[in-house]
Amino acid sequence: MSVIPLTEDQRDAMQEITNVAMGQAGAMLATLLGTFVTLSVPRINVLALTEVPPAIGEMVGRDIEVTAVRQSFQGYLQGEAIVIYDQDGCKELGDLMGYDEALDRTDELELLLDVSNIIVGACLGGIIEQINNLTAEKVAGKLNFSAPSLMAEGVPAEKLINPEKLTWSYALLLEVNFKLEGRNFASHLCTLMSEQSIVKMKGILDEFIASF
Amino acid sequence: MSTPHNNVSLPDFIVKLVDVGIFVVDRDMNITLWNNFMANHSGQSADAVLGKNLFECFPELPKVWLSKKIQGVFLLKNFAFTSWEQRPYLFRFPHNRPITGGVDYMYQNFTFMPVANETGEIDSVCITLFDATDIGISQTELKVAMECLSENSNRDGLTGIYNRRYLEQRLASEFDRCKRYKGEFSFIIFDLDHFKKVNDNYGHLAGDEVLCVVSQRISSLLRSADVLGRYGGEEFGVILPSTPLDGALILAERLRQIVAQEPVIFNEIAIPVTVSIGVSEFEPETPKYEHLIHCADLALYFGKKNGRNQVTPYTPELEAP
Repeated sequence: MSVIPLTEDQRDAMQEITNVAMGQAGAMLATLLGTFVTLSVPRINVLALTEVPPAIGEMVGRDIEVTAVRQSFQGYLQGEAIVIYDQDGCKELGDLMGYDEALDRTDELELLLDVSNIIVGACLGGIIEQINNLTAEKVAGKLNFSAPSLMAEGVPAEKLINPEKLTWSYALLLEVNFKLEGRNFASHLCTLMSEQSIVKMKGILDEFIASF
Repeated sequence: MSTPHNNVSLPDFIVKLVDVGIFVVDRDMNITLWNNFMANHSGQSADAVLGKNLFECFPELPKVWLSKKIQGVFLLKNFAFTSWEQRPYLFRFPHNRPITGGVDYMYQNFTFMPVANETGEIDSVCITLFDATDIGISQTELKVAMECLSENSNRDGLTGIYNRRYLEQRLASEFDRCKRYKGEFSFIIFDLDHFKKVNDNYGHLAGDEVLCVVSQRISSLLRSADVLGRYGGEEFGVILPSTPLDGALILAERLRQIVAQEPVIFNEIAIPVTVSIGVSEFEPETPKYEHLIHCADLALYFGKKNGRNQVTPYTPELEAP
């Protein structure tokens, strides 16, 4: 089984689906934070695993140190979601949550895990929901998520992922910027998936395209 | 063996007896399900807590934080998690490792699940509690062991000061740091005078004692940022961060004096000790960190030739023509 990158049409369809999903993520974050949230249009890409480290470096910025949270998901789609923040992002987050006094390490970490959980849950949940809406028998069901955990702290962006240590073959890279009340809080979502999942996704995307 | 009765469904039976804490609260934080695990660990039976407010039954719970967490699940219709790594426990449950524990209460991982009613509305939150005490304890032990191991791998077995590998590693990083940020530092090499005679005359145990006492005397004068290491045999090195040559020479002279001040006593025998010290200074044009070792070594060599028990700074004139 070999996977070619997404065709132009599939990419557009994927963009459409993630737009809707991330819209939901934004609404959830707004509810949680009690502020107005605007989202950039997500940039998406499907990459072979070896291409992922340089792509992340490019996305976040070379030589920028990042903190990342990982969470795995099982079900119709299988893989690992990684939410990447730059160091400023972590601090901004504390301010936004209305913590007056300086956050201690544990609070900061807990907050980061919570927000990552919401982003991953909303985004992948949203994608699954879209897939269910597209198929009469709701093939995708519901995903299972593991508890989020801290993956790395203060690591150069391009060194975050070591392809040799991962079992996944492909990654769906999603870049979304959240803007909250004039502050720029950027986070990047990188979703690593099994080859099987990507093939399934592509099938669904073709159906989505055919439905227009 | 207990089996489901006719009037209890299999899922109900499992929820009741599974070795995981499961309970459910409604929007008012009233408890609507409480399984055996929760009852047995809390000492509060289902009959005692059902229909009652979670925080009234368990005043020890962090109310502000936990209600916010649960409200979040109602609001976002999303799973939520907490881990022992950030918050070791919510309930003060005794754990089943009273002897090897070293922890106060059972470590707990929680998962919060939104529960929808027939109309699709979220009307309660189901919370599962996993006992993470074993993982927590072994991870903590592992961390301590790793720290200990890495500390030991940096130490000299006899004297307890740093070993050559670590000293060079620190020298290399101090060198890189000063190259990048235009800092300054000096490097000292010192050597016990006539150490071979100590071994020959008084035995190797006496020699070991001399090495240990000299290490202690030197350590007692150094600042916390200075790095003292045993280069091998009777040779030692000291990294002096943020210290230019003149400052390093003053310190080196004090080191020489404190060693020579009084003899080392071993088995009631007084063994006189002195050291010869070579000092080199980092300069922006220094090509590699090894060059600093070479310079200090050369200065030390001249000090030895000049009669020992003295401090010699490196100067370019020392290099053989």
